[in-house]
Amino acid sequence: MSLFYSTLKYLVVTLWSMFVIAPFLWALTTSFKDFQSVTSGATYIPWVDFEPTLDGWRSLFKSPAQGGIAIVEPFFNSVMVTAAGSGISIILGTLAAYSLSRFTFRVGPIRNGDITFFFISQRIMPPVVLSIPFFIMLGKLGLLDTLFGLILVYVVLLMPIAVWIMVDFFNKVPVEIDETALIDGCNPYQAFFKVVLPNSVPGIIVAGMFCMIFGWTDFFFAFILTFTEVQLLPVAIVALNSSITPWWSLSAAALVSVAPLVVVAFIVERHLSKGNLSGALK
Amino acid sequence: MGRSINKGKRSMNFKHKYMFLLPGLLVLLAILVFPIGFTVRLSLSSWDSFYPSLDFIGFENYIRLFTDDSRFWEAFGRLSLLSLTTVFLQYIIGFSLALLVWKEIRFQRLFRVLFLIPMMTTPVIMTVVWLTVFHESLGPVNDFFSLFGMQPLWLSSEILSKFTVILVEVWQWTPFMFLLLLAGLLSLPKEPYLAASIDGAGPVRTFIYVTFPLMAPISIGAIIIRLIEASKIMDTVYVLTSGGPGTSTETSSFYIFIKGLREFQFGYSAALSITYLIIMIISFTVIAKILVKLMVRGE
Amino acid sequence: MSLIASNLSIKHEKSFHLNDVSFSMSKGEIYTIIGRTLAGKTTLLKTIAGLISPDSGGLTFDGHDFGGIPVWKREIAMVYQQFINYPHLTVYQNVAFPLKQRGTQKTEIHRRVIAALSQVGLEGFGDRKIQALSGGQQQRVALARSLVKEAKIVLLDEPLVNLDYKLREQLREEFRGIFDTKASEDSILIYSSTDPVEAMQLGGQILVMDEGRVIQQASAKEIYENPISTKVSQITNDPAMNLFNGRIEDGCIVLSPEIKFDLPSHFNGLPQGDFTFGLRAAAISLDDNGFPFSVELSEISGSETFLHVRHEGLKIVGLLNLVQNFSVGAKVSIRFDTKHLYAFAPDGHLKSSPYGGLK
Repeated sequence: MSLFYSTLKYLVVTLWSMFVIAPFLWALTTSFKDFQSVTSGATYIPWVDFEPTLDGWRSLFKSPAQGGIAIVEPFFNSVMVTAAGSGISIILGTLAAYSLSRFTFRVGPIRNGDITFFFISQRIMPPVVLSIPFFIMLGKLGLLDTLFGLILVYVVLLMPIAVWIMVDFFNKVPVEIDETALIDGCNPYQAFFKVVLPNSVPGIIVAGMFCMIFGWTDFFFAFILTFTEVQLLPVAIVALNSSITPWWSLSAAALVSVAPLVVVAFIVERHLSKGNLSGALK
Repeated sequence: MGRSINKGKRSMNFKHKYMFLLPGLLVLLAILVFPIGFTVRLSLSSWDSFYPSLDFIGFENYIRLFTDDSRFWEAFGRLSLLSLTTVFLQYIIGFSLALLVWKEIRFQRLFRVLFLIPMMTTPVIMTVVWLTVFHESLGPVNDFFSLFGMQPLWLSSEILSKFTVILVEVWQWTPFMFLLLLAGLLSLPKEPYLAASIDGAGPVRTFIYVTFPLMAPISIGAIIIRLIEASKIMDTVYVLTSGGPGTSTETSSFYIFIKGLREFQFGYSAALSITYLIIMIISFTVIAKILVKLMVRGE
Repeated sequence: MSLIASNLSIKHEKSFHLNDVSFSMSKGEIYTIIGRTLAGKTTLLKTIAGLISPDSGGLTFDGHDFGGIPVWKREIAMVYQQFINYPHLTVYQNVAFPLKQRGTQKTEIHRRVIAALSQVGLEGFGDRKIQALSGGQQQRVALARSLVKEAKIVLLDEPLVNLDYKLREQLREEFRGIFDTKASEDSILIYSSTDPVEAMQLGGQILVMDEGRVIQQASAKEIYENPISTKVSQITNDPAMNLFNGRIEDGCIVLSPEIKFDLPSHFNGLPQGDFTFGLRAAAISLDDNGFPFSVELSEISGSETFLHVRHEGLKIVGLLNLVQNFSVGAKVSIRFDTKHLYAFAPDGHLKSSPYGGLK
């Protein structure tokens, strides 16, 4: 590798890294500001440009009435909904993906590929389209503004992801292993649970990661389908973005909301290096 | 769907297969059937806040949409522009980044994790942060530009607002492309590279003749997936510009949102939704086929 | 008691994967299914296993109709050509799996697994992970797992084809040992292969398959001596049997204007006319009083030489018991050992063989 290429490489990587970090850094320093420091123009370094305070961080525990965000409850609501939605999606999605990988379906002109396409095409719909009908439907069922109602909706969002990843994964496991399990005395259910599933743990982890990412980061459905009883984290934060936006609270809250998934990022990278992701083949 | 070892005869055809498929399929159908069916039915009515009833007006909504609503089609145009631009940029940048951290580089692990982080964040929340960053009087960006005596209107100029949206989208979603492409690169066989280095090919030639062709199917998949996600763009627009200024960043989703949940013209927005869906499904099928042909011929 | 197949057929779009296959197999015997790739061997094995259901026809075992019995209830074992083991289990757990599934006692499992492992030469490997084993070792594990069940039908689908040459030879020898000592009086062993040498070495009955059909079922000796058609002779001979067209006229065999020789005695009774003659490569030799041919290719193999020669349109391959390099275009003199000549009708059927099988 010549020196030119090498320098170029590090330069590009560093530049992009700075671009990635920039908003976080800004949020970090802003979270220590107060009204004065924000409105007098852009300021950067604490103690040099402005007086840092912990107001932003303290406000995370105060309710909106007191000028805060009180993110503790929304945070846990988000965790619940994301975990439950992902969990259910993975269970149902993995089962369905297994059948689509191993068995042949033919209902009239509809075959395996079509069914898989049906699952995956759910992603094409913008949340807007589904939100009104869901609104009405959940309303009729009395599930508006409830955790359960939201979880149901998230299952629709996340199952396609689980199916997409797991179908691809199962296709890479030789069917001869299933056959051997059958020959060794397992019925198809046992073959799946005792043999195929233990071998698919990496795939399930990957599917789980993606489900969690897309679940945790949803805004729109939570926005439309919950109001006061249940608030999810993104909604709570955006609600602050009104007339007088307390930048310091917002920044602190934003950093808190990002933290959990940084862990996910590490896990994803580990699996990446192990070569467990080669989906997206269509 | 995918390079399957089990192509051809599937030798397992037991009755049990339904038990595997049906739970997921039925749940999905159950939760979806009503919304979709209802939307179709809505699109044939004139339900709005003044006349909240499910009457039947036939295809009037659709006719109106095709003949009288240039705003919808403009939104579509903007959507195409925005999504194609962002996906294109994400592909180039994502691929470059993936190539750079693919092989030996110091702090490789750190860079890989770092590059993944933006996609793990909640778009809305980060967009709120970007809002403060691009704030025209108090944000750091304009602080920097004021050194040159400029105060660009990132969020309130027609052209610049598009740029800002694209920038935020690129920041947010390039990691996704990066992830898919890096995973693909890591799964490539080593043999062609050995052959190339024996033939004395430099890095550029190796890329053009070995890496890129081998990555073709993965590139297609990644682009399509990203396009599907990008076309739904809502959060960024909602927070950053609310479709503005005027309608310069108004995308199809946003327009449907306005018609439906702001102006409460449920019937009409349902018609918009259905039309949008059909166009999207057709477009993606076509795009997928074209991309496949392009890549295959390029080999 | 036995495994009886009647008219098994499997059709897929326009082609038959199995075409009206019928056979009868008895316990305590080894059967080799030989055929080219895509002849239907794997399909047949999978049908016997129950992984594929035939479109028509039936299978009975021990008098019971197999059709209603699903895979997991049949007492079968199968070894694949790709080394198939359970990747998430150790060697011991792999071999113990079928017994555990059956609910066998722990002590009994232990006894049987250890016995099976030592039979395949893998004593002490119990704790190893599958991924750490070489190809040959993995295949032995698969074999051990198939033995431990003492299944009534043991299916082996080209089990040695993915192993290297030396390993293949070694395992082939061990095979006979393994399957002779076992309680194999009670089981049927079905082995598929594309290699005629392997089929002959295993002894036992041979079923020759081509395009989904069983075209001959007989002992190895019978298949060697009296292949029922040219197809069979091509599939079951390595190197391939030389086949060439000619005529029988006036008590002579005429291959070309210059190549004529007397009818061998076992051809008495054949009418005049066109025939396809067959002669194994080993029955070709160099002889000064032979017919003139020119060399197209010569390949030395071990202690023998394959000589490809040609006389106008007639191409022959000889297997010579010497090591010599012939240059392309060299002129040689070839002798046919007519005692070993076969005669097939133009449609391929055997008309006369040196071993007396007149079909």
